[in-house]
Amino acid sequence: MKKLLAVLLAMTMVLGLAACGGNNSQTTDTPPASTDAPAPAETPAEAPSGADSITVWVYPVGGWGDEAKVKPLIDKFTADTGISVNMEWLAYADGDDKVNSALTGGNAPDVIMEGPERLVANWGVNGHMVDLRDMIDDEDRSEILPAALEAGTAADGSVYLYPMFNVAHCMAVNYTAVKEAGAEANIDLETRTWTVDQFDATVKALYDKFGGTVAAVYCAGQGGDQGTRELIRNRYGTKLTNADHTAYTWNSPEVINALTDLKNMDGIAFDASLQGGDEIAKFYQGVLKMAFCWNAAQQLDPNSAGTGEGKTLTGDEIVYMTFPTQPGKDPEEGSGVWGLGAFDTGDAGRIEAAKTFIKYMCDSENCSQAGDISNFFSCRSKAEGVEIKSSNPLLVEYYGKMMPYMGEYYQITKGWAGARTEWWNMLQRVGAGDDIAETVAKYEANANAAAAAG
Amino acid sequence: MANSPNKISRALQRRENVAGYLFMLPSLIFFVGFVVVPMIICIGYGFTDANMNSKTAATTFVGLKNFIDLWQDETFLLALKNTFLIVVVSVPTVCLFSLWVSSAIYHLKSAALSAFRIIFYLPVITGSVAVTVVWKWMYDNYTGILNYVLKGAGLIEQNINFLGDERFALWCIILILFTTSVGQPIVLYVSALGNVDQTLVEAAEVDGATDIQVFWKVKWPQMMPTTLYILVITTINSFQCFALIQLLTQGGSGTNTVMYYIYYTAFKLTEQRGHFGYANAMGVVLAIFIGILSAIQFKLGKEK
Repeated sequence: MKKLLAVLLAMTMVLGLAACGGNNSQTTDTPPASTDAPAPAETPAEAPSGADSITVWVYPVGGWGDEAKVKPLIDKFTADTGISVNMEWLAYADGDDKVNSALTGGNAPDVIMEGPERLVANWGVNGHMVDLRDMIDDEDRSEILPAALEAGTAADGSVYLYPMFNVAHCMAVNYTAVKEAGAEANIDLETRTWTVDQFDATVKALYDKFGGTVAAVYCAGQGGDQGTRELIRNRYGTKLTNADHTAYTWNSPEVINALTDLKNMDGIAFDASLQGGDEIAKFYQGVLKMAFCWNAAQQLDPNSAGTGEGKTLTGDEIVYMTFPTQPGKDPEEGSGVWGLGAFDTGDAGRIEAAKTFIKYMCDSENCSQAGDISNFFSCRSKAEGVEIKSSNPLLVEYYGKMMPYMGEYYQITKGWAGARTEWWNMLQRVGAGDDIAETVAKYEANANAAAAAG
Repeated sequence: MANSPNKISRALQRRENVAGYLFMLPSLIFFVGFVVVPMIICIGYGFTDANMNSKTAATTFVGLKNFIDLWQDETFLLALKNTFLIVVVSVPTVCLFSLWVSSAIYHLKSAALSAFRIIFYLPVITGSVAVTVVWKWMYDNYTGILNYVLKGAGLIEQNINFLGDERFALWCIILILFTTSVGQPIVLYVSALGNVDQTLVEAAEVDGATDIQVFWKVKWPQMMPTTLYILVITTINSFQCFALIQLLTQGGSGTNTVMYYIYYTAFKLTEQRGHFGYANAMGVVLAIFIGILSAIQFKLGKEK
């Protein structure tokens, strides 16, 4: 009996070792992704050819977060080019961790979809991305929105992000509630712009009617922080970075005054338990009457709940608006730019296939469909002679009313990841009652220290 | 020939030793590969300005700079304070509560005992994400059941922002940590109480010892190894409190802990020069603190 047990245990041990050994040998047999050396002659028969198979990682940007919507286009790409695509969707909560781990382990995907703050300011300048300049000729430059192309270009002229689509981030109000509160006169449905006074009067009317929190300056994390940034900087009209995006400039009277106004306003809460996504959910549920984290995709499908265009859960009408400004001043909406980048995997075949994918999605007759999937707007007017235009009436209306106010893309300032954390921490401290001027000065200094260390 | 039995005995001993080490080998390989080697790498990186994955910046040796900088880092000091608060509050309460519950239930009949064990162990096996999501709903500032109940009972007029108010947030997290930490100690204490030598208990009772005297003079000393294990495990778990922070507050509302700050610095500040070395230095400091506290607990446990 003892012998039998010993044999069984020994076998388990050996199998365990064999299992470990098996994994190791598999790892060593596969050529590391980052090496430039060609694969040994005997291995290609087993290993998938880089040129006919690529891996694409996608952050959930607008409709591109929905696999069902994306799949037909990917299938079409495979049918047209013969390159199979292994799509993987990342979450914003841990997507960066996954990418960084992959980079460290030499397993980066071939293509990634996100914005310039990651593709250019982080992975691009750290040497992980392929320069896509050779894919952009003069004709492309005339067709691509200059601001979007600029956002995808690093300081040395390298293009790490091929612009795909963009949107102006805005805010939204529960128009049914506004009407119930008798404040609809403040909402100009034609222009969708309003002044700070009109905004304040609407908040007051909603607060008087419903009580509680009308809108939240959410600050539990960095998710959707463009909303709070644009709300605050538009109130007295200022910028949060300097002109060449090398330093943060929050410590201004405009920001301090805006924070003071909002902190003292009944119905506005600095809520450290909500992020942008939570705020959208609360707005959709009808709990909050305004949302600062909004855009065209949200208007089309609030809270991604599939319950109808421009409606809350209870059927209230949602109206998108610009962020309020001082009278006579145009708003500057948050700029959202997304596109595709190729990781430098060291394998020329895979990089070529990645570029084929990028060309297909960003510079072909298919980029209209790719843009439609996003529920945002294509970054180019034409591609390969084909005019790019959205067919959705709501998007057409949104484009006309919001896009002219889209501000510059400033999220490429150095130390951006650290600065975002400083921003929501600053809001938390303001909400907790700390001295506003001192708090703003302290956190701006931290952000600039992050920029200097970047 | 006179030495033969000794030789045989030594040979047997050697064979048993070899067999023992062979049985340990798989675990040892994993332990060395996934604990010892990473630990050494971590210590090494702690003395550098390494970036996690930068191809453009070389890693250089910076000596003790990271370790010195830590003590000027306001965020780290706050995280350290919070971590110690969690340990100081969590460890004794978990141990005392587990001991109390175990003492109350260990003599129950099998079915009732199993039911209690399941109830207390359920949060442990449920998984921290599911547990945390449920607690997040309960703590919700707008629609949470806790605010609903407190308001309904007339105890509060305005909703409490449990996770968004620094006066409450850390305590809310400690409460969740408590519920997920008591399961294992209760099961261990129930088992330890069941293994107490009943002849000693009966002898003490015959000698006129009270229930409290029996517990502290007879049962408690026999449970010391279990208590020591529980203390060490709970201390380490409390020091490493991470998932709750990440899922609930991301270190905001005054809830940052060293473990979360390590993660944030290592994985989120990837564009910041030297972030990886700095995060590793923090890891080394945390490990030192855990080691010191565990050593103290072992020492005290042995003395008892």
